[in-house]
Amino acid sequence: MLDYFPENVSSVGIEHDELFALIYYICVGIFVLVNVVLLVFLIKYRRKKGVRAYHFHGDNLVEFVWTLLPTVLFAGLGFYSDDLWTRMKYQDKVPQADVEIDVMGQQFLWHIRYPGPDGVFGDKIPAEMSSSNPFGIDPKDPNGKDDLVVQNTFNLPINKMIVVHLSSVDVLHSFFLPNFRIKNDAVPGLWIDVWFDCFKAGKYELACAELCGSGHYAMRGVVNMQSEEDYNTWLQGKYDAVTASLQPENSTAEVASPAAESTEAAEEEIVVEESVTEEEAAH
Amino acid sequence: MEAVVTSPVEEHGHGHEHDHEHHESFIRKYIFSTDHKTIAKQFLGSALFFLFVGGAMALILRWQLAYPGEALPLIGSMLSDRFVSDGVVQPGFFMQMTTMHASVMIFLVIIPLAVGFFGNLCIPLMIGTDDMAFPTLNMFSFWLVPPAAFFLMIGFFHESGAAAAGWTHYPPLSVIGGFGHYMWTIGVFFVGFSSILGAVNYIATVLNKRAPGMKMFDMPLTVWALFITAILAALGTPVLAADLAILFFDQFFHSSFFIPEGWVVADYPNNGGGQPILFQHLFWFYSHPAVYIMLLPVMGVASDVLATFSRKPVYGYKAMVFAIMAIAFLGFIVWGHHMFQSGMNPLLGTTFMLSTIVIAVPSAIKTFNWLGTLWRGSITFSVPMLHALAFVATFVVGGLSGIFMAAAPADVFIHDTYFIVAHIHYVLFGGSLFGIFAGIQYWYPKLFGRRQNETWGQIHFWLTFIFFNLTFFPMHLLGIGGHMRRISDPNVYDFLKPFAGMNEFITICAIILGFAQLILVVNMLMSFKLGKKASRNPWRANSLEWAAPSPPVGHGNFDKPLRSYRGPYEFSLPGKKRDYLPQWKKPAKSESAEESAKQAAGGNGQAAGGGGH
Repeated sequence: MLDYFPENVSSVGIEHDELFALIYYICVGIFVLVNVVLLVFLIKYRRKKGVRAYHFHGDNLVEFVWTLLPTVLFAGLGFYSDDLWTRMKYQDKVPQADVEIDVMGQQFLWHIRYPGPDGVFGDKIPAEMSSSNPFGIDPKDPNGKDDLVVQNTFNLPINKMIVVHLSSVDVLHSFFLPNFRIKNDAVPGLWIDVWFDCFKAGKYELACAELCGSGHYAMRGVVNMQSEEDYNTWLQGKYDAVTASLQPENSTAEVASPAAESTEAAEEEIVVEESVTEEEAAH
Repeated sequence: MEAVVTSPVEEHGHGHEHDHEHHESFIRKYIFSTDHKTIAKQFLGSALFFLFVGGAMALILRWQLAYPGEALPLIGSMLSDRFVSDGVVQPGFFMQMTTMHASVMIFLVIIPLAVGFFGNLCIPLMIGTDDMAFPTLNMFSFWLVPPAAFFLMIGFFHESGAAAAGWTHYPPLSVIGGFGHYMWTIGVFFVGFSSILGAVNYIATVLNKRAPGMKMFDMPLTVWALFITAILAALGTPVLAADLAILFFDQFFHSSFFIPEGWVVADYPNNGGGQPILFQHLFWFYSHPAVYIMLLPVMGVASDVLATFSRKPVYGYKAMVFAIMAIAFLGFIVWGHHMFQSGMNPLLGTTFMLSTIVIAVPSAIKTFNWLGTLWRGSITFSVPMLHALAFVATFVVGGLSGIFMAAAPADVFIHDTYFIVAHIHYVLFGGSLFGIFAGIQYWYPKLFGRRQNETWGQIHFWLTFIFFNLTFFPMHLLGIGGHMRRISDPNVYDFLKPFAGMNEFITICAIILGFAQLILVVNMLMSFKLGKKASRNPWRANSLEWAAPSPPVGHGNFDKPLRSYRGPYEFSLPGKKRDYLPQWKKPAKSESAEESAKQAAGGNGQAAGGGGH
């Protein structure tokens, strides 16, 4: 049954799979025990002529024992699981990031924001949020002008700690990376940190796991996990395009344009990406 | 000794006792009736009708999952263009189907059956009284179901369709969803109103109207379970009502309780300042206990059925009662496990993980006690017993799969996948519905005065049991594979493409499972006329409902005064001729008289009760 898991590529996924396997073996053990006992009883104590059932109302010691055993077992499992939980999700235990990105869910696509050539994210102001500026990047903040925003398909380096700041512009979405054992809802009005690393390069699917409307099923992204050099090359190419687009209008500085233009760039990127995956699927 | 001689068992032909003292109009008698038995039948009839409505919805969405992009057979051409194009299910319609399948099954089938049907049927009869404490309120609680169904369904007749935000109806999606979603909110509000009215009635009836001599700890576990369930419903449902009221304000008046600042949705004025997760807290504060509202009554039913057909007292009766209470109490402090990945503060995740994992303990106690009940019994595999045994076996699966999601870090991956779908169906179909079938089969002779056809009952059971497992067990595998729930086309994702065959297999099994349920209904309907007349106590059981004629006398139920002398599970007492001692049988005058009675019973060979059915 555990073979059905998609391939795991993250360090936290290894721990997740170990815990899942532990619970799996405990539960299979209990399941077999209970159902074997049930079957044996059904066969052994089926109605037979001349045999009368044993009049017996139960025994407090037995009740005590089979209350205590599951309590110890399950409470132990709970306390054991808590360590991994705190490290996975506690917002004050998010590891030091090597790469930080913002991810914003919108019906029915994912926006991903990189800090741009200056390496600094522009401030986010909820009142500035719009379809053309889903992150609500502050137009007055110079750091925001070069921020790179792409849709659905994005690249990240392997063997680095990646921290995702997650939110949504409209309804609930859920950021689900099956190969990384990562899932967290994207909640409008709330920024949540999700972190992961990756030890194997490749393209992995990003799914929306929280019902977000009729296009929910197609809210698919792809994260391309690359070696550090490949990733830097890709990022530099993107950043050069951003810098170039900012150059001619330096003085007039149309503020919303970086996000909008990078959106166009990203849409081209999606088309390319999809044709690639189709080719892959064909092979 | 007198008790044995005057046994009503095997008496037939109570056909002429329906001489009503006062003539009631047709409407008062069959439609706006205040008789708990009629109301029980009404709940049963409406719930079975909606079982097929909800089942048909499930098959539509199963078809789309197995054969995405292929036209629906038979009904595809009949559905409106708003739902299908060239017979192919549209994504929006798929969402309406998932939403309404769950809403119908939970609010119009399982809750009405587990609480409305069993509560009305069992409580007055099993505590030996003539009717509910508030018969008119009782009637009202049923007649809130039709408007509830109307508001839930009306969206289908509107151009924007029925509710499609999932049965959990999370905002902001449900706030911007349109007409069907607004009507859904009102419909569920009616269901909640009906639940609260039922609950206060059950509590009052159990506390005040027990037959003389019946102590609380002499009540059958079915009554105990319904009593605790009523307390759960009375405490939990108002919170859901509050939640829905707030949602209603957001939907109609744009009050933004659940809408935060910085929110981009066209055509919706946003006043900001709200918090979507608040809805989830309030919703699950009711809806987690609601799972126990749907489960506890059938746990009671299963206990009674297992005891009767093992001819043994329920093992650890008091432990069973305390386990029900523990589940009910813990049920109120575990709701956060539905929200581990919701963005709720993860510190709460730790708390809810520990409370959730502890709730497995009373469930384990109940399972062990059921096994203890079977131990050294004399087991007959009648149709109700088969369903009760299936309940135990499948409830174990549902309970154990719950451990995975209770452990918060293991929940991260399987949350919102088919693992959850498998779990909830093992609990609500494998658990609740098998228990409900057990109860329907067990009390059918009492309610309708006829026996059902045993062979068809067995066929229905085996088809249901086999295809239930074949349908829902593979869903665990889909979930481990990462298959998200509520997606109308899994082929969009490369990692889900290998599961196409499994989806097809599940759909085929689901279709057979669905059609097998026709056997249940046809058998019930045919047995109204063709079934053998039932005796008062066809299963040779001990609780008070079996002292009444089958069916019970019009208004009043019992044809002679009733008193309870002992607990409901005195099966197979050593030294007695018969292997059961009903609650209503008068004990011998003293201990010594009891002794002499035992000796005399040894020579009295032709007492009626011992024959094999």
